[in-house]
Amino acid sequence: MSEKKKQFPVYVLTGVFLMLLCTAVSVGVLMIPYEKAQTYLNLVFMAKNMKVISSTGLDGLVIKENEIATTPAAEIKDQEQQFYDTGEIIRPVFGEQYAVLQADDIDLSVPVYWGSSAELLDRGACQATSSVVIGETGNIVIDAHVNTFFANLNQLAPGNILVLYTTYGIFTYQVTEQVQFQNTDKKYVLPLEEDRLTLYTCEAQVFGTSSNRIGVLCSLVSKQFYHPAQEG
Amino acid sequence: MTKIDFYIPKILLTFLLIFSLIGTELTVFLRHKALTISAFQTVAETQDLEEKAYASLESYFQSRSNSTSIPAEVFLSGIDREDLKQAILDSVSHAFDYLSGKSESYELIMPFTDLEASVNQFFSDYADQHNYQKDEIYQQKVDAAISEAEAEILFIADTFKLSMMYEKGWLAKGKKLFSMLDKITAVLCGITGILLILLIICCRKAFSDFWYWLGLIGLISGLLISVPCLYILRTDYFSGFVVREPQIFAAVTGYLTFMTDQICKTAGITAITGICLLVIFAVHSRKKA
Repeated sequence: MSEKKKQFPVYVLTGVFLMLLCTAVSVGVLMIPYEKAQTYLNLVFMAKNMKVISSTGLDGLVIKENEIATTPAAEIKDQEQQFYDTGEIIRPVFGEQYAVLQADDIDLSVPVYWGSSAELLDRGACQATSSVVIGETGNIVIDAHVNTFFANLNQLAPGNILVLYTTYGIFTYQVTEQVQFQNTDKKYVLPLEEDRLTLYTCEAQVFGTSSNRIGVLCSLVSKQFYHPAQEG
Repeated sequence: MTKIDFYIPKILLTFLLIFSLIGTELTVFLRHKALTISAFQTVAETQDLEEKAYASLESYFQSRSNSTSIPAEVFLSGIDREDLKQAILDSVSHAFDYLSGKSESYELIMPFTDLEASVNQFFSDYADQHNYQKDEIYQQKVDAAISEAEAEILFIADTFKLSMMYEKGWLAKGKKLFSMLDKITAVLCGITGILLILLIICCRKAFSDFWYWLGLIGLISGLLISVPCLYILRTDYFSGFVVREPQIFAAVTGYLTFMTDQICKTAGITAITGICLLVIFAVHSRKKA
């Protein structure tokens, strides 16, 4: 066997040894800075499951549309359908359309979404998640854009009737008062002990964004549930 | 390698050379490839940043029109895509002017003549139609609408978020490092050169061994850089970037991916060069035998 052939394993082992040594040194040297940077790296690149870039601005928002019948309660009663004063409420999830708001006096018919965001406001009216779900006792607060769905909100007058249709019942309200308030004033949108429907929108204002809000306060006329509340 | 007394010094020199070569390669890459205006320009063009920025502006002004009743077209008609593209490129070149000390501060400027004319025209027409008095309050509202729109356009045009980096003082810190980068590169090149000379001296009695050690240096340093880069590229690591605004996401991830790809290729070439040197050494040794 020649001298070079004898040395062949030495060449190979030297290469492997150096490779392992350098890898070990690199890992050892970089371990401490990596551990320090790991928290920041995890924060900056945390959205690992959101691989698809969306330009629609709807990332993370799941919008759910529901088929909601808007047949008036009187017509349903004609079909001998029974209503209940108390009943089962189906809680919506954020971004779910769970009601339709109708006001014949201003030709209003708008889907109502649970939660509020720019994308939902483009699709209909939004109900604040800090208010109660339709059917529960308390303040139901709904808003929409003034130049789209609530363009004629200021035309609602005391005595006008509004109906909220849901998949579990029909809820009728009557306008009692027109109100104006500042966007910083929360007195109309706070939780209440009694039933109330509060609708509001921005004051139409071309010359800059208006800080004024206009709206109507409505008292409950009737709650008509399709199904009775389950016992227990 | 026939002389065992030079074996340990050769291993030690090779070990040091591997890291000095990695350091040299990375600093040269950083100075002449990564931190250059052309690198950012390439990313801006390949990622269509001006299109993404324009789409973001469309979305913003459309959304704003819901509360201000000012149609989005009033603003969009005053924004030229070419101006937007130029603003994105200017943001980079101004930042490099600041980093290299050519300018004392960083500021992004865009021409807004068309936008101002468009907004003024809309407000004027609206005021005329509704008999709104064009008084001081009117002018204040017009100015507020224009300045708000301009601020948003500049914010969106700053796709690499260099204004934010300047305001946070990160660019000032980067300026110090940037000025030192040439010195660091020179020092590393010098160290690499000295170590290479020492290796040549160690190999003077059997010079063919020099190609073996040089081959090992190239192969190992290339692998130590390219393997982590390949892992990052394969796992699509940067797509987990938390800022999801399309133009920022595309700018940041586009730049990081482009740079990782370039480093990986450079390191790959180094590794291949190392393999070639090892092959040359093997062939030379066989002929000699």
